[in-house]
Amino acid sequence: MIGCANGEEERVESEQHLKTITYWSSPNPQEYELAKQLVEEWNTQQNGVRVKLQALPAGQSSEEVLLSAMVAGTTPDVCSNIWPGITNDFIRANGLYALDSFEDYEQVMGERVPEDILESVKAKDGHTYQVPWKTNPIMAQYNTKIFRDAGIDEFPETYSEFLEAASKITKDTDGDGRVDQWMGYRDIRPIWWQRYYDYYTSYITASGGKTLFSQGELNIDEQASNEVFRFYQQMYENGYFPQSTMQGNAFLYNRIAVEFTGPWNISFLERNAPKSLEYNFAPLPVPDNYEGEVYTYGDHKNIAIFSNTKYPRESWEFVKFLISKEADYRLLSFASQIPIRKGLLTDPDFVSFFNENPKLAQFARQAAFTRGVDSVRDFKEILDAVSRYYEKASVYGKMSPEEATRDMIAAIEILREWNR
Amino acid sequence: MKKTLLYTSLIFGAFIFAYPFIWMIFSTFKPNAEIGNIQLLPEMWTWQNYKLVFDRIPIEKGFLNSLIVTSIVTLSVTIFGAITGYAFSRLHWKGRDAMFSLSLFTMMIPFQITLIPTYILIVKFGLTDNLAGLIVPTMITAFSILLFRQSFLTIPQDLLDAARLDGCSELGILFRIIFPLSKPVVVTVAILTFVGNWNEVLWPLIVIREEALMTMPQMVALFAVGGGSDSSVGAQLASALLLALPVVIAYLIFQKHFIKSMASSGLKS
Amino acid sequence: MSMPYMAHLSLFFVYPVVFSIVLVFHRWDVVTPMEFVGFKNFIRILSDEVFLQSLINTGVFLLLHIPLQIVLALFFAVQLNEKIIARGLFRTIYFLPVVVSGVVVTILFQQLFSFETGLINQFLFAVGIDQVPWLVSEKWAMPSIAFMATWKNVGLYVILFMGGLQSIPPELYEAAELEGANSMQRFFHITLPMLNPTVVTVVVLSVIGGFSLFIEPYVMTGGGPMNSTLSAVLYIYNQAFNFGHMGYAATMGLFFAVIIFTVVKVQRKFIETEVY
Repeated sequence: MIGCANGEEERVESEQHLKTITYWSSPNPQEYELAKQLVEEWNTQQNGVRVKLQALPAGQSSEEVLLSAMVAGTTPDVCSNIWPGITNDFIRANGLYALDSFEDYEQVMGERVPEDILESVKAKDGHTYQVPWKTNPIMAQYNTKIFRDAGIDEFPETYSEFLEAASKITKDTDGDGRVDQWMGYRDIRPIWWQRYYDYYTSYITASGGKTLFSQGELNIDEQASNEVFRFYQQMYENGYFPQSTMQGNAFLYNRIAVEFTGPWNISFLERNAPKSLEYNFAPLPVPDNYEGEVYTYGDHKNIAIFSNTKYPRESWEFVKFLISKEADYRLLSFASQIPIRKGLLTDPDFVSFFNENPKLAQFARQAAFTRGVDSVRDFKEILDAVSRYYEKASVYGKMSPEEATRDMIAAIEILREWNR
Repeated sequence: MKKTLLYTSLIFGAFIFAYPFIWMIFSTFKPNAEIGNIQLLPEMWTWQNYKLVFDRIPIEKGFLNSLIVTSIVTLSVTIFGAITGYAFSRLHWKGRDAMFSLSLFTMMIPFQITLIPTYILIVKFGLTDNLAGLIVPTMITAFSILLFRQSFLTIPQDLLDAARLDGCSELGILFRIIFPLSKPVVVTVAILTFVGNWNEVLWPLIVIREEALMTMPQMVALFAVGGGSDSSVGAQLASALLLALPVVIAYLIFQKHFIKSMASSGLKS
Repeated sequence: MSMPYMAHLSLFFVYPVVFSIVLVFHRWDVVTPMEFVGFKNFIRILSDEVFLQSLINTGVFLLLHIPLQIVLALFFAVQLNEKIIARGLFRTIYFLPVVVSGVVVTILFQQLFSFETGLINQFLFAVGIDQVPWLVSEKWAMPSIAFMATWKNVGLYVILFMGGLQSIPPELYEAAELEGANSMQRFFHITLPMLNPTVVTVVVLSVIGGFSLFIEPYVMTGGGPMNSTLSAVLYIYNQAFNFGHMGYAATMGLFFAVIIFTVVKVQRKFIETEVY
């Protein structure tokens, strides 16, 4: 039984004399469906290159899977779910193919990708190993009916307004003595990637678009970090966010009013929400004295070709197919995710779609003001440290925001020292 | 009066152990909004939770993978355990006692120490994302050898001598004569290995990343922790129930053997 | 005939043990080449408060789990040992959680323990008791996990105790009855001392099982709240397979193994002098 899948694949290959390249997509149901359609179309073109699609296993982070595939020498030719935080590790291990070695690279990338983003994915050695593909900005998704019922017409812009709204919304609706409607909910388990949706995204917002590092050095905006710790601390202290691990999707059943989430949630809600659920999106709340654009965390995902590919040129052709305007349009319309494409909002081919889908248009507008993760070693471990202080200060109120920021920075410096 | 108290207490105990399972069964047929309610029976019966499980994870593949791995391991542990147990109990060879002490020693070394090096070994053999990576490290266990050895020691020497006179080979003696006489220990080793291996989850989490090769408990654990279930509690419970089912059915059929085998695992000390 | 075993033993026992000794002096993420770091991993252990905490947590788990397990197992075993009808049925039910995978029990209890919608809190609320923040407070999380582990395993120990009870000669009770001992006195002066070997077995087995606590916190709490349910195995797993610190994880594994080894040895000593 074992390994028979591989044998089959080789047989097909030799029978048809085709070059086969393997493509790994994200396991997200819509995205996988889209990938299936695109691969099918590619394969019917009969251009001598057959693509074999496989979804990355759900439930585990793609990075773990790719790293172990690299160790075992079983990487695919192309993967479209590369998290920028990990590419440095791949490059150090000589795992990726330099894309700028293709002669039409400048032209292809120049047409699609905005210059500043292209610059940001350049590796230290001057080469580029990844195509910035899509971004999923985190925004506040809110239940418009709950807000209306509480007498609030506008989604709160600042922390104070958010707190005030929370005090009106969090309550016991059926009179049994237990609160059953909350302002919001976040998974409080200290799992590193959960912090993308609370501390990390709010930190980017509060700091006006800074990340934890600048030029490879830890450089945390302490003021912003304090504000963020305090904001969540107040939410938990007052019970506006329940201090619990809620089971099931509370937003669907009107039990929470706000969720910090990305555009992928639109297609989830369209499928699962009862007809009566009204919702909309807004930028994340900012500290009271904040002025300027509202930035947020954008979950960037890139496409890369792995260096052990037998067919780099063919893989590159397939990558170009994946980032064509047509494919981008379907990424947006079918999987509700935002492609990283120049002039997305003004392109006539996209404008009418955005007019019909104002919710996605909000995300597309927000996409220009996103920050991703720092491409540094140990980023997961750093978020793990963040998680510990977030838990202590914000969720359980066991230390002040100032102490939390100070100790967190010290802890991150210590772990970086150990890993040096 | 005393009897009433006794039965009340026993029934209360049975309620504590059985009710969560009963609740779980009915909950898998409830829409998610209903699961938090206190009443047991669904107001609206639905298959939606099972549908979501089968849509999202290839759980039937997980079942098959678990079955393959567990069957091969059980067979191998039983056969090699018997062979080695025989060599340790009824054959005389140089270094036997030293080897036996070593195998006792391996049982005292916690798995935590060998976990990471064994993983690296599996990586070097290229057995990650391969069911063989789950099978090979546990093909022979010291515990099964010990159980077989103890049981074989009680078999009269005359029987073996007679068989040797008849020209039986050592393997022939073991499998034709000793094996049929040792049914209880064979059953014990097989059940302990089967249940232990079926329920193992840490090692598959480390070795297998490709969904199509995952074992059932691993797949279900990741379905519950990760985003695959769309945080649908009903679907998580449904996947857990599907995972429990094969072992529970086997248990209900062979419960006497199960209880005896698992209890005997405690008697080694 | 023991060749296959020896081959297997050298590959999957001797080699890993030797290799782990090599590994503790290195830093390695498996992907890039190994790097010699001397005693750095050992020094790091000594200053790693989280690892210390994870060891303490594992100890706390054992201290909660074992006494609870022994008392409950004894309680049910004594009752099942009476002349009752449907003994087999009760035994079957009590033993059911033992055979079911820890993953199933964990997913199930995650729902039962849920603060707002969990069955346990619903029952408590229905009888007018305040809801308990089972898995989400520092105080309750580890006791909750210990309770769950007890629920899962106690059936096995009920069976062991029943075996122990049946091996007590009835004459002892008859003699005691003649001397006018009541049932309480009989339990504490005959049953309990005679069950000593079984208690020892239960303790040894639970200690070994408890040291490998992993899947429960992995699924239910991720080690929180505030590291209160972070077990040593979970921490080692995270360091190795999430953060890629194989050398450091191997060092902690070695350290932890020495602790387990010592505890088990001390237990044996204690048993040999006290019981027999």
